Amino acid sequence: MERSLSEKRSAAALRRAEPVHLLTELKAILYLIPFLIPFTVFYLWPVIRGAWMSLHVWGIQGMQKYVALTNYAKILTNSDFYAYLWNSFYFVLLCAPTVIILGLLLALIINQRIWLRTLIRSVFFLPYVLSVSVVSFIWLRLLDAKNGPVNAALHMLGIHADINWLTDHRFVWWAITLATDWWSVGFVMVLFLAGLQEIPTDHYEAAKIDGANAWQRFWSVTLPGLSSVMKIQIFYQIINCLKLFGQVQIMTGGGPGDSTNTMIRYIYVTGFKKDMFGMAAAQSMVFCLIMLLIAVIQFKITDRKDG
Amino acid sequence: MKKLGLNAAATVLALLFVFPLIWMFLTSLKPDGVNVYTLADWVDWSDLNTGNYVKVIRDSQILLWTWNSLVIGVLTTLISILLSSLAAFSFSKLPFRTRGIFYVLIVSGLLIPTEAILIPLYETALHLELIDNIWAIILPGLTNPIGILLLKQFMDGVPKDYIEAAQIDGSRSFRLWWSICLPLTRSAMVSVGIFFFILSWNNFLWPYLAITSEENMILSAGLPTFLSNNNMSLNLIMTASAIAAIPTIVVFILLQRQIVQGVAMSGVKG
Repeated sequence: MERSLSEKRSAAALRRAEPVHLLTELKAILYLIPFLIPFTVFYLWPVIRGAWMSLHVWGIQGMQKYVALTNYAKILTNSDFYAYLWNSFYFVLLCAPTVIILGLLLALIINQRIWLRTLIRSVFFLPYVLSVSVVSFIWLRLLDAKNGPVNAALHMLGIHADINWLTDHRFVWWAITLATDWWSVGFVMVLFLAGLQEIPTDHYEAAKIDGANAWQRFWSVTLPGLSSVMKIQIFYQIINCLKLFGQVQIMTGGGPGDSTNTMIRYIYVTGFKKDMFGMAAAQSMVFCLIMLLIAVIQFKITDRKDG
Repeated sequence: MKKLGLNAAATVLALLFVFPLIWMFLTSLKPDGVNVYTLADWVDWSDLNTGNYVKVIRDSQILLWTWNSLVIGVLTTLISILLSSLAAFSFSKLPFRTRGIFYVLIVSGLLIPTEAILIPLYETALHLELIDNIWAIILPGLTNPIGILLLKQFMDGVPKDYIEAAQIDGSRSFRLWWSICLPLTRSAMVSVGIFFFILSWNNFLWPYLAITSEENMILSAGLPTFLSNNNMSLNLIMTASAIAAIPTIVVFILLQRQIVQGVAMSGVKG
């Protein structure tokens, strides 16, 4: 997004500098058209169409009635909406920090000269190439209350609790977080590794000469060196966690009760299970606005620090 | 001594990480109803057999789903890369006045995720009669602007002299793209392509909605049907997961360098 701004500036400079050649213009646009066609039909149009649908009572059969902002009023006065919105953000609070901290930790370990470094890096990254269904199935079994190895390991450690990971509301979010962290931490690790490799080694040497210990070097050299990756990852992980659907759909079905029903699942159920497309479109719009707000806040913070 | 501790920590963590996968494969090779639960079960390898694999493949459409995932993944990736490269070429090498407007428009595609436009997307696909057709998955898969951003950066690295020299020789812009920019950005295209393939292969929510009949399903969306099938034992579910996981694991082992590089690139700059 930083780039898009500088692009805007350079485009403005171009506009001043060059006369209009219609043919050049058309020729350049011609190269964009193959991308623009699917982009318009399957992205731009649905965005606009969604806004329009949200103002109607709409079913799978099509539009039934224009109701202006009634859908929005209903959403905002419905306590379910706030409960599911909170669920989505609760998952952000659990998952985003853990995956980032764990990813950073793994990157710091792999960045050292350890045995079998490439192999170990691959092991950490491997779960990322699995689909959410496979990940969910594996953890469904690992966390099984009666026959799952996780409870078996707890037994071996002397904890005879037989935790119902997926049906006890005290543990279910931790279960989903565990599965998600396992799945995606390798991705975060790879990005931090790339960031670590760009920190010049003489910064570390200078810090060493100044008498900084390992912990101080981490705070004064490593973390600032990773700040750009960190910013992108915080933003990316927040959005990613807000999009949670597959893991809960497969592992808990939104349960126990409604405790793991997220915004995306709410939209899915409203639209496809209850056949209320208009209402679901309105929910999507509200959710989009919230995500855009996060993007804007993130963008403002990043921009201020850079400038 | 410190080194030893670090190595031990790394090894233990790696073992913990790989454990779920080993456990999946081990369970999938155990006879129906036998669970890998205690340490004794782990060490007892006498009853390992591939019977579950035969059963899952025979009784479900899993191989067909794998094939569908593969076809959709390859088509989405190839078309995406081509479209992204053309657009990147235009942004990078053809100075035009409305460039900024188009660029912002396309990049704005990163702001709202597909998950948030499900309903109108479904309605659009319904109108175009794409529901339950593999093109319903391929076409919306072509709208990701990340490829354009990344390939543009690489094309910006293609020296101006090359382009000017070719222009003096009378090359038209299409030739500039095809015979200069395309070959010079090949490695970036491979990385972006692998990234697109993983995205497509693991895409869940949209295929889960857009495909309704079993024979058109893809792996990621078809797999959950095993759960609603009550007579599926736990071992068979692990077998199905293993079958779904094997292609990606094999591809990962073969191409890990490019995959890790591609992910690092797309993630840092995306």
